[in-house]
Amino acid sequence: MEQVIKLVKTYRLASGLAERLRLAEAIFRLIEPDLRFFVFAAIQPPAAQDVLQEVLKSITTSMNKFEGGSNEEFWGWCYRIARNRLNDHFRKKATDRLQPMPPEELWQLVEESAQVSPLSPADKLDLEYAMNLLTRSKPECHDYLWKHYIFGLNYTEIAEERNLNYDNVRMKIGRCLDEAKSLVS
Amino acid sequence: MLRRSQIARFLIMPKQNPDAEAALKKLGHHLRLGWAKKHPVQDKSLESVRDTVREQWEKEQVAEPKRKPAPSPTKEQQRKPPEPDRE
Repeated sequence: MEQVIKLVKTYRLASGLAERLRLAEAIFRLIEPDLRFFVFAAIQPPAAQDVLQEVLKSITTSMNKFEGGSNEEFWGWCYRIARNRLNDHFRKKATDRLQPMPPEELWQLVEESAQVSPLSPADKLDLEYAMNLLTRSKPECHDYLWKHYIFGLNYTEIAEERNLNYDNVRMKIGRCLDEAKSLVS
Repeated sequence: MLRRSQIARFLIMPKQNPDAEAALKKLGHHLRLGWAKKHPVQDKSLESVRDTVREQWEKEQVAEPKRKPAPSPTKEQQRKPPEPDRE
């Protein structure tokens, strides 16, 4: 993933159509799966496809205006756009909001990942523990832990989404983690 | 040799949980990896990206000539080589 920001920086400078097409394809081959996961974990499937297309379009259109210089900033920016498009959709149809993915579905994804990156017995224990932390947490905490640890959104990005300040979010995530740990132990 | 009391203490010691934050981050990595394996990039998505890049590039090409300022007539005159002196 280190190369995403290099590709984005080159894209910003590219003026020829062929070069832009080549770079955009390389960038979206890297980012599309995570964005798809982000959208499809939040919204019902028929609408999710349309929202994903909107997200990809918005990112493509404004990519040459992106001013950040790191992978983290770029991912934060992409997720912000995805979140805005999801909110646009929820304003029209709130009932499309999905419940958290069930553990069985999450385990299927872990099993898929093991084909690419095999799991050691210690990894399996860690993942089992993490899965328990997630599934036993209350809905609000699940959302905080999911966004922060599963998608890697930082406190600032979550604070912006929730209309809270940085310290509120940091403390909430800390409390949610402690609560989940106490429920699991 | 371990004394019986030490063995008993070991047996009743609570199981050490792994680092919660590290375990959740590891789960995130595997979920995203598994998702990407299960749902590879769709041609439909890439086609939509290509269309948007093309549309944007075409718009820029239309807007580009307007952005270039017309050469100023005074500067143009200044750039002309001086006329040779008439005899």
